[in-house]
Amino acid sequence: MNIIGPDTLVFGVENVNDCEQYLKDYGLEPVGSGVFEALDGTSVIVLAKDDASLPPALESGSMLRKTVYGVADQATLDAIKEELSTDREVSTLPDGSLEACDDQGFCLGFQITIRKQLNLPAETVNSPGAPPQRPLNVIGADPKSNPLPRTLSHVVYFVPDVAKAEAFYVERLGFFCTDRFTGLGPFLRPAGCQDHHTLFMIQTPAFLQGCEHFTFHLAGPTELLQAGTQFSEKGYETFWGPGRHIFGSNWFWYFNSPFGCHVEYDADMDIHDDKWQEREAPVNADTTQIFHFLARDKWFPSGPPPAKK
Amino acid sequence: MSAKVVKLCNMDQLADGTSRGFDPLGEGRDTLFIVRRGKVVKAYINSCPHWHGAPMAWRKDAYLTSDKKRIACYGHEAEFDIENGECLSGPCLGQSLTALPIHVSLNNTLYLLLKDLQHKNTLL
Ligand code: FES
Ligand SMILES: [Fe+2]
Repeated sequence: MNIIGPDTLVFGVENVNDCEQYLKDYGLEPVGSGVFEALDGTSVIVLAKDDASLPPALESGSMLRKTVYGVADQATLDAIKEELSTDREVSTLPDGSLEACDDQGFCLGFQITIRKQLNLPAETVNSPGAPPQRPLNVIGADPKSNPLPRTLSHVVYFVPDVAKAEAFYVERLGFFCTDRFTGLGPFLRPAGCQDHHTLFMIQTPAFLQGCEHFTFHLAGPTELLQAGTQFSEKGYETFWGPGRHIFGSNWFWYFNSPFGCHVEYDADMDIHDDKWQEREAPVNADTTQIFHFLARDKWFPSGPPPAKK
Repeated sequence: MSAKVVKLCNMDQLADGTSRGFDPLGEGRDTLFIVRRGKVVKAYINSCPHWHGAPMAWRKDAYLTSDKKRIACYGHEAEFDIENGECLSGPCLGQSLTALPIHVSLNNTLYLLLKDLQHKNTLL
């Protein structure tokens, strides 16, 4: 099934103002009605948790209320409707999109994707032994640059039954498992997307069911480090990072948020096709990060020079 | 790090129903936070029992739930009793924050003993 990836995550939150400010500071563009967009039009929607337009909350009270997938065309929508209608209710909303629950109770939407084709330059590096990517006299570090999230990358769920959850996405919606952490969960990508994962799931007790984090792709590691630094300077608190994952190779920097989950900046993820052989590893500090720095506001290890008396 | 006593702030600088983080060890992150409710001020290590070492605020000094009635961890929505640091809901139910003794001078300045912080900080 030609599902491309998440177009939109819909949240019903406790404190709308805090959440809106957070997404603006993160770099998404407010376009009205609680919609905050990345450059390609993928988005996060922020509504008050009792907003009548929201699907019901999970029993756990997770603020993530809906994950809307973009698909290639109407034929894919029809195929999804046919497949899921065999054992659950699938409604067609006035805008033509579909709505149904996955096997763990997460509300899903499916729509013909709203993603705009991006045509943007890649980050460039000059590596000895290779032709330079930046010509003579072109500068790499610009303290004034303001990196913007390009596209919604992935969402991570806490799920009570990870085997069942995985089976739903793989068997019913045609997702592929790229890699997995033993006993913890799989990295999944839909058939219409080459990214290492758009969905990762983690086995947890049922009362924790919900979203662990979501993230947008930036242009590359330099943008990630710069965006994360700027976000920290605005007062936001790092949870983990910056660093680089092993599965997916993506750079990461996770922050706490008022969404009841972490929010990440992500860059430079591996891409795969169906020739890829799934890998498996136990989860620990050595398998989740190839390297990791803790953000600190000082770089001098021994402190500043003594103050003048 | 010569001073044995760390001055945090004056009670007047901490409005009722607010919280504030401090970095007395110069780690470049707030290692502890204080919360005020009425005349009561409590200090805790900024580390969530759900994930030891995980910082709790979502923004500088934002350690409380939006109704200000509890301490929150903005990692995975754990909530804690302001008075005793006990987790009341969330993934670390039954566990507690690590409290730090806080000292109040006659002019209402809040102090902490450095050794208390160093000791508790290394336990994480
Ligand atoms: S890290 Fe605090 S609730 Fe998970
Ligand atoms: Fe991630």
